[in-house]
Amino acid sequence: MIGEIIINAFLVTLMLTIAIFIINTRKVISTILLTGTYSLVAALMFVSLDAVDVAFTEASVGAGISTILFLAALSYLPKEEKEEKFNVKHIYAICTCIIVAGLLIWASYDLPLVGQLENPVHQNLAQDFIEGSRNHIGIPNVVTSILASYRGYDTFGETVVIYTAGIAVLVLLYDGVSKTSKIHKENNK
Amino acid sequence: MIDQIFGVWNYWIVFILMMIGLYIVISKKSLLKKIVGLAIFQTSVFLLYITFGKIAGGTAPILTDNLNEIYSNPLPHVLILTAIVVGVATTALGLALTVRINKAYGTINEDEISASDLVEYHEKYLEDKK
Repeated sequence: MIGEIIINAFLVTLMLTIAIFIINTRKVISTILLTGTYSLVAALMFVSLDAVDVAFTEASVGAGISTILFLAALSYLPKEEKEEKFNVKHIYAICTCIIVAGLLIWASYDLPLVGQLENPVHQNLAQDFIEGSRNHIGIPNVVTSILASYRGYDTFGETVVIYTAGIAVLVLLYDGVSKTSKIHKENNK
Repeated sequence: MIDQIFGVWNYWIVFILMMIGLYIVISKKSLLKKIVGLAIFQTSVFLLYITFGKIAGGTAPILTDNLNEIYSNPLPHVLILTAIVVGVATTALGLALTVRINKAYGTINEDEISASDLVEYHEKYLEDKK
């Protein structure tokens, strides 16, 4: 128990430090790399909370692919942010964030304590899924059997979302005339 | 007492990380930084869900031969797996929009974008007056 608390406190401190550094850096490349590190530390946090499948998805997709996407976008964008003076708008933003954080922390006393077996989340479906995965589907990894079988339609919907996003990115970045059609026109002249 | 504090500690951290993300989205002028802020907010929401699924003394939901084993709740894990992948799709879309805006305006700073919009509007207004 004590070991868990120490690991948890270490990872949490690391995440908070990285997040605060992200606020202050002006070089875009270090912002992007810090975001990748933040995702990796989050993945470690998921391992310590027993979510191994989420952890390796976060490490490969959150820290890997999205860092690559950011770096690819950076090659078209300015490499450094404009310097900003501290003004009234920042104070408004800080006040809003502190008030919202205070309200959320107040509300957290009504949430069930972390890690109790009698929490409402654990009462209904989860046990059925674990039993069903053993008896009906026969895959030892419960997350896989829920993802591909019990919640198969969700996963299908996710694929549709990614397809739509891919099309939208292509439409946004398409600049009217493709290279092949230019060459084709020049040859016809 | 320690149990009480540790029981809500994870929630507080999640809320503070969430607010750091929100602060970046509200106050930073660079559009790329705003997308980074959204990513931080997203990760903290993932952490909140995974925290709900944790059972103290349980193991990862991979079945073992021991029938009395306690497993952490696999359902939030599945939801968050879907959310992570959808999150990358939204990040990609946001970055494509940023690149497109940079092409059209030559900057990704919010203030400069609205300033150049204003200049364009004024020029159009003066032309219409003639």
